[in-house]
Amino acid sequence: MTERRISRPLPRTTSDVELMEHADGELAEAEVAIRLDREPDARAKVDAVRELGELVRGHLELSADAVHDARFAAMWRRIDSEIEVPASGLWARVTGWFDRHRGHVVTGVVSAGAVAALALILRPGGPDGAGVGRGPISVQPVAMRAAPEIDALDTPGGSSTVINLDDEDGHTTVIWVSPADIVEGI
Amino acid sequence: MSQRLFATWVAAVAASLVLGAAHPARADVTTECEFFEISAKAGPKAAIDGELKPVERKLKKAPFLTWNQFKLLSHSKRPLDKKKPEAISLKVGTATATLIEIVDKSKVRLTVTMEDDKGKQVVNNTTTVEAGDYVMFVHELAGNEGHLLSLTCK
Repeated sequence: MTERRISRPLPRTTSDVELMEHADGELAEAEVAIRLDREPDARAKVDAVRELGELVRGHLELSADAVHDARFAAMWRRIDSEIEVPASGLWARVTGWFDRHRGHVVTGVVSAGAVAALALILRPGGPDGAGVGRGPISVQPVAMRAAPEIDALDTPGGSSTVINLDDEDGHTTVIWVSPADIVEGI
Repeated sequence: MSQRLFATWVAAVAASLVLGAAHPARADVTTECEFFEISAKAGPKAAIDGELKPVERKLKKAPFLTWNQFKLLSHSKRPLDKKKPEAISLKVGTATATLIEIVDKSKVRLTVTMEDDKGKQVVNNTTTVEAGDYVMFVHELAGNEGHLLSLTCK
């Protein structure tokens, strides 16, 4: 709406039309305000007109909202009518529960998985003090490896020779078994 | 308890049970060992199977200079559980490997037994060896041939 502010001399007694224009903000404020101070009836009319305007505006806004609500209600009714009626029974209730709480279930599973993964990673070694994280035992760099130790060796029916080899791959223990009935040696 | 909290709680318990059930299977396996069964002999032309790459360098040095032809008979990787003898399938004879314990987080104490093709025990050995290092059992055979079993654990 184009705002018209007209500055013109008012007659001595302010007419109702002018009061309505003033109430609607279409007449200059200063001149009318002086007259309204002198005319209490006019002031009451302006107030009444403003109040009536507010009422009309509020009613129109409510009507507009009511139209939207009615449209949405109709949409929901149509959607509900097109959705299949859920099957009854325990399984339907279980799946329905999961459907309704899918977000929470996923959140719970992810959280529990993260906690379990952390627990697996950070857990201390087993009774043998097995390594953490990467594998059952840790492979030391070649330079830090201790030489193999023979704890027990039995070669029934033959003789044995133990040879330790060291190279860039680490240690190699060779256990050479020569049967007694073989003449050739190593 | 609200439905949301209950749903989250149920899901968390379910996931923990699943993960908890999977946990013991992993804990049982304490090391994995790789076995190479090799036949060795001397011939006019040196030959080493390509699959023997991990041990090729060792086979070209003493005390293996007796032979110059090495052929892979079998290759296997086996997870070993503590104190549980594991049969190692061989082309010639049989073998078992038993993890006695893990020492200092990086060493394995193993007992290995080998029998020849007649079922006669060739060797019964317990050795403590660093992960990544090798133990090689050599059984001399008639005709300047050899039957070797190489193992390494990680």
